[in-house]
Amino acid sequence: MTTADKKTKAYAKSLMKLCWQDGEFSDERALAVLQSVEKNPPPRYAAFLKAFLALVQRAVADRTAVVEHAGSLSDEALQATGKKLSQRYGRAIEVQSRQNDALIAGVRVRVGCDVYDSSIAASLAELEASLS
Amino acid sequence: MSSVIEQIEQQIANLQSKTVYSNTGQILTIADGVAKVTGLSEAMYNEMIEFPGGTIGIALNLEEDEVGVVVLGESTHLKAGDEAKCTGKLLSVPVGKGLLGRVVNPLGQPLDGKGPVESSESYPVEKIAPGIIERRSVDQPLATGIMAIDSMIPIGRGQRELIIGDRGTGKTTIAIDTIINQAKINEVGLASGDDSFRPVYSIYVAVGQKNSNLARTLGVLEESGALKYTIIVSAAASDAAADQYLAPYAGAAMGEWFMANGMDALIVYDDLSKHAAAYRQMSLVLKRPSGREAYPGDVFYLHSRLLERSARVNEDNGNGSLTALPIIETLAGDLSAYIPTNVISITDGQIFLETDLFNQGIRPAVSVGLSVSRVGSAAQIKATKQVAGKIKLELAQFRELAAFAQFGSDLDAKTKAQLDRGARIVELFKQPAFNPLPIEEQVAVLWGIQNEYYDSIDVSRIVAAATSIREFFTTRKESLLTDIRTKAKLDADLEAELKKAYDEWKPSFA
Ligand SMILES: Nc1ncnc2c1ncn2[C@@H]1O[C@H](COP(=O)(O)OP(=O)(O)OP(=O)(O)O)[C@@H](O)[C@H]1O
Ligand SMILES: [Mg+2]
Repeated sequence: MTTADKKTKAYAKSLMKLCWQDGEFSDERALAVLQSVEKNPPPRYAAFLKAFLALVQRAVADRTAVVEHAGSLSDEALQATGKKLSQRYGRAIEVQSRQNDALIAGVRVRVGCDVYDSSIAASLAELEASLS
Repeated sequence: MSSVIEQIEQQIANLQSKTVYSNTGQILTIADGVAKVTGLSEAMYNEMIEFPGGTIGIALNLEEDEVGVVVLGESTHLKAGDEAKCTGKLLSVPVGKGLLGRVVNPLGQPLDGKGPVESSESYPVEKIAPGIIERRSVDQPLATGIMAIDSMIPIGRGQRELIIGDRGTGKTTIAIDTIINQAKINEVGLASGDDSFRPVYSIYVAVGQKNSNLARTLGVLEESGALKYTIIVSAAASDAAADQYLAPYAGAAMGEWFMANGMDALIVYDDLSKHAAAYRQMSLVLKRPSGREAYPGDVFYLHSRLLERSARVNEDNGNGSLTALPIIETLAGDLSAYIPTNVISITDGQIFLETDLFNQGIRPAVSVGLSVSRVGSAAQIKATKQVAGKIKLELAQFRELAAFAQFGSDLDAKTKAQLDRGARIVELFKQPAFNPLPIEEQVAVLWGIQNEYYDSIDVSRIVAAATSIREFFTTRKESLLTDIRTKAKLDADLEAELKKAYDEWKPSFA
């Protein structure tokens, strides 16, 4: 990594700090930061935007639970999952549901880089690994 | 309802509600067997990381927003965007006697097509070495079967003795001879029914070697019957740098199992120069800062933490030992290069092999002047001390005189006698590859030189004479050899019998 890269990353990180409110990532603040940067672009603007995007993506992933399920999943179950996860992480977690029949049955939840897998597909994969 | 049904239902319920947690990430880039992974926020240093297809990597660089993972084995099927998973486990390998006779990779997986490895236990690949309190000093011999070494540079169990020399000077041969000798001693000892006998198991770690070389070594071990006491861990030149980096630690873990269970083991690292080169390659790809000879700054620690794991532990800790024979290849005999000086400073001595001697036909090409064993003499058996006590000095003096004698034409009688004797000792120490000699035969041969039985034999016939006397002893004086082995020291009776034997043999060899 060149020093220019490092500087750009550090700048993106410092601006990222402005995007938090009460310990949670705020879309409004991030948009405001983006607008002010647009008016006053830093050197290596494209590289900066890429670095900033990666940080925002991570922040968004950390407050989002992607719930994959095979077959249908009731809305109550989905909201209950969101509530449980918010408690667990101590911050508001939004849920998104996504159908994935490859799981066979059960659910798989991803929050940031944490994955909770109770699907049959995962159990089968584990079983297979233990046999080979 | 029957309780069996209840139990089964309970188990089904458990199965259904089982949720597996994992910390994951995504491959950002992958090149040269090193993956940069985002996420993996909980990865530990040295943790096993799992990729699609069951491929394993180790987390080596933990940075704020990415983790550098070196991939073990084949990595061509991995691409950016693939998922990576923390396993929560530090890298570990199977250990135990089930590995004896097997050839495995640094993960302990079989490479010999002989089916799965039988093992019910595993050890972490990286482990803290025994502390000072658990150790005891080296005082039991580990005979190499090589006369020049056992008599002048003796090695003890738990010692770390470096084998160092240029390319093709016989480094591997010395290590393999030592492994074969342990097997021979094991066979005799285990057959004797002596309960106090302690066999030595061997681990041969091949790093960055050509497969053809390893095949030859494997053949030699198999043919000599030593394979069944030996584990071979191989990461060939064609394997990923990460595998080569890992192999010595995996071998050390297998050796530690023997030590931890009160047994004795010997481990050969062939060689640590290639190991350091693999580490350098890995570090360059990981973009770690490099220093002298382009090695990363912690290359010293790479070998010190490996060799520290060899030890002899005390009675309270089972009395086991792990002896290490690391091998280093030098360039033009240069001991002052970075890696050689490092490893010399962390071993208990070195066996230095010289190209010149090798080319003159003096094989094994052990340089007497530059080889030492700092702790081994405490482990040498009394009988060898009795017959070989002065030989190292005599030989060193001979080398000096021989250099000097090239210039002088008329030498005084004393110098000439010293030269004559030295030339005979040199001949006597010549020993073909893969032919280790039992310590009692060594003692019998050396007794002859001590008592001047070879002085009247022409230098060109010394090798033949040594072969003849050994044959004489093994065929006609077997009980004398057994007595030397079991008593391990020469008393007046044994000396008298040796004299009788030599007097009987001498006229027959003329
Ligand atoms: N004592 C010996 N007597 C006769 N030949 C020997 C002896 N020791 C080694 N050789 C021969 O010398 C050659 C090189 O030996 P070896 O492979 O042990 O050397 P090395 O130092 O390990 O080489 P490399 O640097 O390639 O690893 C081999 O062909 C071997 O058979
Ligand atoms: Mg070799």
